[in-house]
Amino acid sequence: MLNAFIEPGIPVLVQGATGRSGRSQTAQMVEYGTNIVAGVSRRDDEQAKLPLFRNCTEAVSATGARASVAFVPPLDVLPAILEAIDAGIELIVTVAEGVPVHDALKAKAATREAGIRWVGASTPGLAIPGKLKMGFLPNVSLAPGSLGVMSKSGTLSYEVCYRLVERGFGQTLWVGVGGDAVKGVRFADLVPIFAADPATQGIVVVGEIGGSEEEELAEALIASGCKKPVFALLAGRSALEGVTMGHAGALIQANVGTIETKTAALRKAGAEVSQTIKDLVDMVGATLGHTLV
Amino acid sequence: MMLLEHHAKELLASVGVTIPEGVLLTAESLNQTIVNLALPYMAKAQVPVGGRGKAGGILKIKSQADLGPAVEKILGMTIRNHPVRSCRLEAMVDYVSEAYFSLAFDPDSGTIKILAAAEGGVEIESPEMREKLLQVSAPADPAQAALAMETLIALLPDHLRTIFCQVAARLIPLFFEKEALLIEINPLFITRDGGWIAGDAKILTDDNALSRQKEMRALIEMHPDLYPEASLKLAQGFDFVRLDPDGDIGLVTTGAGLSMQLVDEIIQRGHRPFNFCDIRTGGFKGDPSRLIQVLKWVASGPNVRSVLMNFFAGNTNLAELVPLILLALKEVPELRQPITLRMTGNGLEAARVILAESGNPIHVETDLERAVDRALAVAGEAAHA
Repeated sequence: MLNAFIEPGIPVLVQGATGRSGRSQTAQMVEYGTNIVAGVSRRDDEQAKLPLFRNCTEAVSATGARASVAFVPPLDVLPAILEAIDAGIELIVTVAEGVPVHDALKAKAATREAGIRWVGASTPGLAIPGKLKMGFLPNVSLAPGSLGVMSKSGTLSYEVCYRLVERGFGQTLWVGVGGDAVKGVRFADLVPIFAADPATQGIVVVGEIGGSEEEELAEALIASGCKKPVFALLAGRSALEGVTMGHAGALIQANVGTIETKTAALRKAGAEVSQTIKDLVDMVGATLGHTLV
Repeated sequence: MMLLEHHAKELLASVGVTIPEGVLLTAESLNQTIVNLALPYMAKAQVPVGGRGKAGGILKIKSQADLGPAVEKILGMTIRNHPVRSCRLEAMVDYVSEAYFSLAFDPDSGTIKILAAAEGGVEIESPEMREKLLQVSAPADPAQAALAMETLIALLPDHLRTIFCQVAARLIPLFFEKEALLIEINPLFITRDGGWIAGDAKILTDDNALSRQKEMRALIEMHPDLYPEASLKLAQGFDFVRLDPDGDIGLVTTGAGLSMQLVDEIIQRGHRPFNFCDIRTGGFKGDPSRLIQVLKWVASGPNVRSVLMNFFAGNTNLAELVPLILLALKEVPELRQPITLRMTGNGLEAARVILAESGNPIHVETDLERAVDRALAVAGEAAHA
């Protein structure tokens, strides 16, 4: 059941609701059908179409919000998370690019201690297609369907899901975990959610070099006994060691986080690892094609 | 960003760590630098990756006459795809043993990982050496890390305990103050008189913390030639990495993951991307200057025969983007290579109209596979022409 992770109608508040991107993204999330109940901002905003509050605690007690999506600058992400924890929020999505790792370490410790789910530091967010969107996964790549999607890269996952949707394969739930080195929800955390959800017939993993998240995912898949097909695409085969290629997490250091270690681990767990976007899309089609209506 | 050894050691020296005397040389400063080191001494290639000793990037200077040729050789090397841009000359160290120390974070648990060993050196990655590593974890907090370090020190041989107390007292605060992601000293030389010297140093800093780490920021600004990628990111707010000076495909792309994947797929198909690029259209805000900069760099690739632009407008609008591309192209007349523009998403039809009205002969594809096919075919034809 996906509800253990996120419910489609969960009441959501927006931190940083009056900023340039906060305001426009809030409008789009509302339009998508997300149950946005409150905005939080230090500033007044006469154009705001939502009830605005000075802090999360006030917003939660007035509206019953249980989840938050934060459109705040990178150095404000940690304070926003701590404020959401204090207010009793259960799940928080943060989207800012460039959150310092030492802030993410503190946020990770705090969210873990509070027992809440944090999707971030820097992610395009998550979506239950047709029902809820927290963040800005693009509408053209979203459609209700039978794939559980987990992704590090925004842009690569947009392209992959766009092509899958063109072929008739939508999603049950898509969680962008982000490309940071230190993050909240990791690939492995999503395995039990997708494994237990009867509507999810396959899992798509958009991973990349760096770190050990794909290796952990492989272990979690084996441990869960999940028999659903897993389709993985791993970017960064040709990345330079010692240089950051856009994502802070995509820094390979000697023998850790290489495509080879990740591919081997995932294949051992029974996953199909594709080298090209086209191969992944074809593989999903060949495996799940019978479910097409 | 991985600091070069020279800068990592200077940072260590600033908190009282003893380092071997040394000086940094670049091709420009070679003839103006006075070297006061006692012979023999070492010349060490400065690259942000390990394995330089095995690659021949560390040479012994036995006489003054060795210096010029050795430095010239080192500065001409490329070690694991990194061109050597500087070289550290360093005094030899008289030591009795080599130990190991590192501080890093564990991304999974979000804790700090401290490693120490009574034996260090280049073989630290070997399975036998790995077994001898002592390890403790602590919450990401200096006081807790110091406490955990005490339990680790208790497991070390007697003669190393005082030394590792000093190591911890200097490096744990440094790790947190500078928001480092890794500090590794290997080898950590133990001297005859019971002192210790950092033989080599790896410090990985957080690019995302530069706005509040003034000293790190100043270092990059002072050495744009030695840290080209970080310097660019700092000055321009996006990523551009020159991958292959002889590359035949220039890339103007957005998004780290998709751009990496495109590089991978192009290489797999037997072509050589000149660059990696995550231009971040979201940061344009109506200004074509990032595009102009990237187009200039791409145009400067001596073997670039074809340019591939890829814009998936999930959250941006192509009708706003295309006018910026047209403006930028006017500013970069030297870019004569044929362009394949893949665009899809918001504002596609309006963007097509704008392009058609401009009369610009850019080839447009909406499908990425077809765009890649076309860009590579163009490069192939140009190569055979």
